[in-house]
Amino acid sequence: MPSHPREPLDRRRFLVASGLLGLAAACGADPSRRPSATASVPLSRPDRPVQLPLHTDVPAVASKRPPEAGGKLKLLNYPEYISPDVCKKFGEEHGVEVEVTTFTTMDEMVAKLRTGGESFDVCFPTPDIIAKISAGKLLQPLNHNYLPNFANVWLQLRDPFYDNGSRYTVPYNAYTTGVGYRADRVTTVPSNGYELLWDPAYKGKSYILDDAREGLALAMLRRNLTSVNTEDAARIRQAGVWLSELIDLTHVKIGINAYQLVAEGQATVHQCWSGDMVNAQSYLPKGVKADVLGYWYPDGAPGVVGTDSLAIPRTATKPVLAHMFLDHLLDPAVAQENFSYTGYQPAIASITPEKMVADGFVTEALKSTIVTPEIYERGLQLLQLSPPAEALWNDAWAFFKAGR
Amino acid sequence: MILPLPENPSTGDRGDHRTGRSRPRENPPARSRPAENPPARSRSPRRRSARRRPIVLATLTWLYVAWSLLPVLIAIQFSFNAGKSRSSWQGFSLRWYAGDPNSVAADPSLRLALANSLILAVLTTLVATPLGVALALGLARWRGRTSRTANGLMLLPLATPEIVMGSALYLVFTNLYLFVPLGRPAQVLGHVTLSVSYVVVIVRSRLASIGEEYESAARDLGAGRVAALRLVVFPLLTPAIFAGAMIVFASSMDDFVISSFLSPDASSVTVPIKLYSAVRNAPSPALNALATLLLAGSALALALAWLVLRRRGASDALKQMAPM
Amino acid sequence: MSRAPARRRRASPLWPALAAPGTLWILALFAVPFYAVAAVAFGYTDPVFNAPVPEWDPRYWDLTAFGEILQRSLSGDLRPVFLRTLLYVGVSLALCVLVGYPVAYYLARHAGRRRGLLLALVLAPWWINYITRMLAWLNLLQDDGYVNDLLLASHLVAEPVRWLSGNPYTVVLALAYGYIPFFIVPLFSTLGRVDERLLEAARDLGCSGRRAFWHVTLPLSRHGLMTASAVTALPMFGDYYTNTLVSGSPTTTMVANQIEFYLLGGSRKELGASLVLLLSALLMALMAYYLIASGRAERELT
Repeated sequence: MPSHPREPLDRRRFLVASGLLGLAAACGADPSRRPSATASVPLSRPDRPVQLPLHTDVPAVASKRPPEAGGKLKLLNYPEYISPDVCKKFGEEHGVEVEVTTFTTMDEMVAKLRTGGESFDVCFPTPDIIAKISAGKLLQPLNHNYLPNFANVWLQLRDPFYDNGSRYTVPYNAYTTGVGYRADRVTTVPSNGYELLWDPAYKGKSYILDDAREGLALAMLRRNLTSVNTEDAARIRQAGVWLSELIDLTHVKIGINAYQLVAEGQATVHQCWSGDMVNAQSYLPKGVKADVLGYWYPDGAPGVVGTDSLAIPRTATKPVLAHMFLDHLLDPAVAQENFSYTGYQPAIASITPEKMVADGFVTEALKSTIVTPEIYERGLQLLQLSPPAEALWNDAWAFFKAGR
Repeated sequence: MILPLPENPSTGDRGDHRTGRSRPRENPPARSRPAENPPARSRSPRRRSARRRPIVLATLTWLYVAWSLLPVLIAIQFSFNAGKSRSSWQGFSLRWYAGDPNSVAADPSLRLALANSLILAVLTTLVATPLGVALALGLARWRGRTSRTANGLMLLPLATPEIVMGSALYLVFTNLYLFVPLGRPAQVLGHVTLSVSYVVVIVRSRLASIGEEYESAARDLGAGRVAALRLVVFPLLTPAIFAGAMIVFASSMDDFVISSFLSPDASSVTVPIKLYSAVRNAPSPALNALATLLLAGSALALALAWLVLRRRGASDALKQMAPM
Repeated sequence: MSRAPARRRRASPLWPALAAPGTLWILALFAVPFYAVAAVAFGYTDPVFNAPVPEWDPRYWDLTAFGEILQRSLSGDLRPVFLRTLLYVGVSLALCVLVGYPVAYYLARHAGRRRGLLLALVLAPWWINYITRMLAWLNLLQDDGYVNDLLLASHLVAEPVRWLSGNPYTVVLALAYGYIPFFIVPLFSTLGRVDERLLEAARDLGCSGRRAFWHVTLPLSRHGLMTASAVTALPMFGDYYTNTLVSGSPTTTMVANQIEFYLLGGSRKELGASLVLLLSALLMALMAYYLIASGRAERELT
């Protein structure tokens, strides 16, 4: 803590401070005081895979250690994104309490990982930030000796472009981004299903995801533009303007709870992730049949796909147990159980679409929620951007959020 | 919750109407007022409203009371709903308190939130009350420029919206005071900062109305300064101190913004945070049950304070809160 | 009061010693955090972690972000946000005055025997969590909630009103509902102190009850009215949770929502901190106006 004057900040001091302010304006900020460690963070793309560097001061945990016992295994996850039963069973088996702390955005997750005083054992990063947070030494490399179940993962994700060799992450779930709707209130679904969100008939009942990238990508895809990772300021700004049409048109609302809002009827149309609609089946009020739920995802044309992953923060206090937890989630039976709670499809090879329908996981109408490795291959992913471009996306989103 | 500013904090409310001491504004020439203000358009001097107006006012007041409390009562009612709905009544049940897997008793995160809120409020009260009383005494008796500056500084938190204070505390704990971990320690520090000024204001206004004569008399009779404080001033201040402590407790229980900015993980979630996030995610009558329990906690604290204060002039303590 | 004890007091180190812990506390946890906001606003954001890197040394303060916020508030996307916030706070405050003044007046002057009970009922919301009170309305305002049931049953509307769908009226009503208790109480205490004898004098001099109100009570309560308005409006300016709960749509975004967005999300925290500074400056200007005006109101009375 820097030494601060003993006397309070009185008026004179404020004047001095404002004088300094003028001085600062005169000399301007000194760019040399801003280290740019970020220049070294590579931007991974499907055609430009990246092997994330290891750091000598962040070693992986040694093999053949006994799992830590007692206390808490702390997860940092989206809300309702892991089955409490799965957690509970794992905890009972290993004599720990599994505690879940939630966040709603990746920034929030990173902030929590960085904040002193709290440490987490498992976190759930999306591929677009893995390079950054591993370069920032927030993650520890995985020791695959603890992960025999890794062999169950989709082939495409066993050596993913964003983390060649799966040094820091293993995949968790795969999803698509489409439009969830109440089939009993939406009479016709246009061939371009994104139009549902621009339909004033659903005014006040129309939601989009609370996510800058997803929201702006929606505005682009509606116009058949696929530049969802563009760094071009004009295009990004244009997407913000297009999105703002929704404010007057439908009084659009912003949220990430499509599974509940669509099921309960508070939302008629909701841009959402595929898993939300699978999940919505269990949120339906009594007496409402599951076939009122619909999910539109572009058939043939590219749409947004994504994966979530599992990683172990550097500050984990139970790294061995954390590895075992990851491995536990990659076990097909556990993955299946977890799937039945979250509605998000694990990227596990044995869980096939046929099996999902046969097992009654999804209704006929919700078949479109299923992600196959082929859909994943063809889809557009929202990938890491350079910091200036990220700021542009955020500004365009803030512009939309500000209303008119 | 932000509480009102004191009437006139810098001068203190010296002329206390209860003690019958007259105020300097006793006799402004009433007749000169109309000259200053534009003449009223009262058409007839008839006193038709002398009796009837209060009926309109009374109706309005009772309507207001209904408007302000009825929704809460209905929310409490729905905590006893047998069904999952929060908008249609499906019969009486205690399942959201205990029994249902999502009930307060069965859901550890709800129990934790309840415990966190209570512990936080108690710790905040224990720290903020003595701190505020000492500050009030010091500021009331210590004259000088530094004292005036400190007095002004003390009032600033009352005039600061919580998002400003919350974000400032968040930034300072994450960038400068790194030795204070986010979570309960930071939350206690934040809540004390938020509420210490209430104690100062209440105690100072009481000090001003007590005056310094008793203390001087005690000093003239040979009591030391500390003894005079302990034997004379403190007993007179008790109702104000209790009132201040109650306000601190209530404001800590009520606070959402600061708790939420300073809560890094699930272990420091308080009831308002839980309510806020759950309302946005997955509302169920269990939330109403949780809110009802918190309400019961506040009511209990209030009743307890009332019982404790009965002997020491409870009505006086309540009156102390009125000028707030 | 004699001067001698005053001199004796000044010499005593007891009083500064008593004031010291509290003062230091507020310095360390109010003044310094405020400086931290400035340091963040005039610093930059680490692009790897999206975390603020504060600039503690004023010599290196970078005013770009603050300038950007200022410019956007004057003519850019933040302008409608500020105007909307002012409008919502203004209308909510007007509602508070319209409802709160008569209630406080009745409570202070006419409540009679029921005064204790009424006072307790009016104070009750203070002890009820703000979010709880919002939750209560959320239940009532559902499409199939009691409010719509009532409106439909009385044939005031033909179909359910969509209260919770980005409806600005709901936000304004919710704000008024949330903050009105903080308006009534200080006003009540001022009105309670209006000297009964002045009103008697006014009546004796031939004033009607109404005229007495306009010419005696109202001017005397002006100071309380302003205090009540200040304590109600200030927190409203910093409110982001009410409209998130009852609307959640960009149609009703307020300044504090954008602060929350930039500070907790976003990749440029200095924008959020700058917005905090700008809002604080605005509120300080309002406070200064309040202090000057209420000082004048006080002087007029004496």
